[in-house]
Amino acid sequence: MAVLEIKDLHVSVEGTEILSGVNLSMEEGKVHAVMGPNGSGKSTLAKVLAGDENYEVTSGQILYKGQDLLEMAPEERAREGFFLGFQYPVEIPGVSNTYFLKAALNAVRKHQGLQEVDAMEFLELIKERAKTVKLDDSLLQRPVNEGFSGGEKKRNEIFQMAVLEPELCVLDETDSGLDIDALSAVADGVNLMRDGKRSFMVITHYQRLLNYIVPDEVHVLVNGRIVKSGDKHLAEELEASGYAAFDESAA
Amino acid sequence: MAAIAETRSDYRQEFEADSARRAGWLAPLQQRGIEAFESQGFPTRRQEAWRKVDLTPITQHHYPRVAEPGRVSSALTDKLGAFPGHRVVFVDGIYAPELSDLGSLPKGLTVGSLAEYADGAPERLTEVMGERVDIDAQPFIALNTGLFRDGAFVHVARGALVEQPVVIVHVATEAAQGHAVYPRTVTHVEAGAEARVIEQFVSPDEIEGLVVPVSEVHAGQDAIVDYHRLQEEGAAMRHIGGVHASAEGNAGCRVYSLASGAALSRVDYYADLEGEGVDLQLKGLYLTEGRQFSDQHTYVNHRVAHGTSSQVFRGILQGRSETTFDGLIRVFEGAEKTSAEQQNRNLLLDKMALSHSNPRLEIFNNDVVCTHGSTVGELDETALFYLRSRGVSQAEGKSLLTVAFANEVLENMRDERVSNYIRDRILDRLPGGENMRSSA
Repeated sequence: MAVLEIKDLHVSVEGTEILSGVNLSMEEGKVHAVMGPNGSGKSTLAKVLAGDENYEVTSGQILYKGQDLLEMAPEERAREGFFLGFQYPVEIPGVSNTYFLKAALNAVRKHQGLQEVDAMEFLELIKERAKTVKLDDSLLQRPVNEGFSGGEKKRNEIFQMAVLEPELCVLDETDSGLDIDALSAVADGVNLMRDGKRSFMVITHYQRLLNYIVPDEVHVLVNGRIVKSGDKHLAEELEASGYAAFDESAA
Repeated sequence: MAAIAETRSDYRQEFEADSARRAGWLAPLQQRGIEAFESQGFPTRRQEAWRKVDLTPITQHHYPRVAEPGRVSSALTDKLGAFPGHRVVFVDGIYAPELSDLGSLPKGLTVGSLAEYADGAPERLTEVMGERVDIDAQPFIALNTGLFRDGAFVHVARGALVEQPVVIVHVATEAAQGHAVYPRTVTHVEAGAEARVIEQFVSPDEIEGLVVPVSEVHAGQDAIVDYHRLQEEGAAMRHIGGVHASAEGNAGCRVYSLASGAALSRVDYYADLEGEGVDLQLKGLYLTEGRQFSDQHTYVNHRVAHGTSSQVFRGILQGRSETTFDGLIRVFEGAEKTSAEQQNRNLLLDKMALSHSNPRLEIFNNDVVCTHGSTVGELDETALFYLRSRGVSQAEGKSLLTVAFANEVLENMRDERVSNYIRDRILDRLPGGENMRSSA
């Protein structure tokens, strides 16, 4: 069954069209990579999927688990198992990481008809999950992302994903600015969560991350359109030849 | 030359009517108070410090002082229990022993009513009372000084450690409709002693009266004082108060303020660092909604060297409310190695709310570090989207961010009961914060 179907999606920001007819279908349990040069619309796609109101969908459709995603508020999407790992995680002074995550987890659980998580259980859960992404324990009590290094912010995104256990995870340039240790920690976190049911869309500029998170399918996004799809070898080709060839064909 | 008519104001007449029953030791102070008020009169908008305040509701009519205390409604009686501690309650300005709880005061702590000292007061009271408040600088402080009938006296003896807070509650009742109340509090924590005081102001929503309180807080050498002022009067009240904190060498003095009540509220905070090595913190939160007007003025005086002060005031504004923060750091000649910071931030939750911020520095000395900053802004939409993208509802996300905004004032409070209480009062005004209550 398709977990995500994007049909002829057109998106504008302040009157400028960024996505010009994106088509993409993801089966449950698969890892899809979306690659493309800067300004091709990769992050726009991620933000639209998450429900950012600064992006206007002018036409097209997105079905998530068969439901009309565009009709859902951002929080409903999250409660239905959608997760976006932000390219630029937001700092929230005055709110501790733990408190934030507990509020998020309880919102998801309530939606699923489950009891709110017990304080002790929650503490054990976050400690265990922090370990899997090698996130320093001391960051748990700190305000969300405040004063975190670039690598810590990205690990914190993967950590949140590990706690919330979503069904579809979109990772928007999670690899950008990461050194090799942080990159492998992030990839380990993702790979541990691959269970044949959970689906991932990995958005990246470089092939590097895909050595660690091996995709089932690769899509090339250029000038707001998917210009080519293929298997993991497509990523390697891109690494060798670059995006220039596609750019010309698209122009 | 035109003849000047000798008229006695309504307020002076009230003062004179009191003469017979005034305690002898208070007579000179109260006399000075009424004289200072008479010579200044009510402030006008031509005076810089009163430029934003519309005082006409107060100055157009005479608010006679409440003659007999009214009955305390059960809703207000419930409020009295908000904080466990040594409780002293004043109803319409008069001590109410039946509502107070002063049993088992620990050694070294005195809590009582000023009226008890009709025949003479101990030196530990007279040596601080009225000694530092500047009756010539603020007419309402002068008016209180002339007309208060009773008040609280809190004394902590040298070296004593008082664990439970002293809770002073000023209740205004139906009797305050169209009338004035003049609460007065003197807190004297002697050298090396430590104490917490919570002073709370409450009244029923519909009562439109005038509350003019003055609180004096003095920390002796090496003393540690946490003073909390919670102004939570009903929506129609008018509240114009003054706080005067002073600290001797190496004392730690922390003044926390919540201003959430009354249609019009104005508080002037004076803080004097009198000895070297004082650490003084002045932290305030003002919450306004509807058409509330809230005005906070600070005057932090570094009189000697090696003093540290920190002022953090935050405003959360809703509806068509309006606020002013006017904060002064004054570093006197000779007060080198002063470190003083002042920060005022305002969060507008509604488009029609209006906030003014006016930081001021007067530095008459080299070798000091003074910083100040002020901002007025709205909720961070990016942060709100981030919260929602994790499943938190829009309403809960707004509450979460609003409380987070207040946390800089709240998180360093040593008494969690007070910070939790204030957090809950913020949540009272916001939908979607049910899960965040201290009881949840």
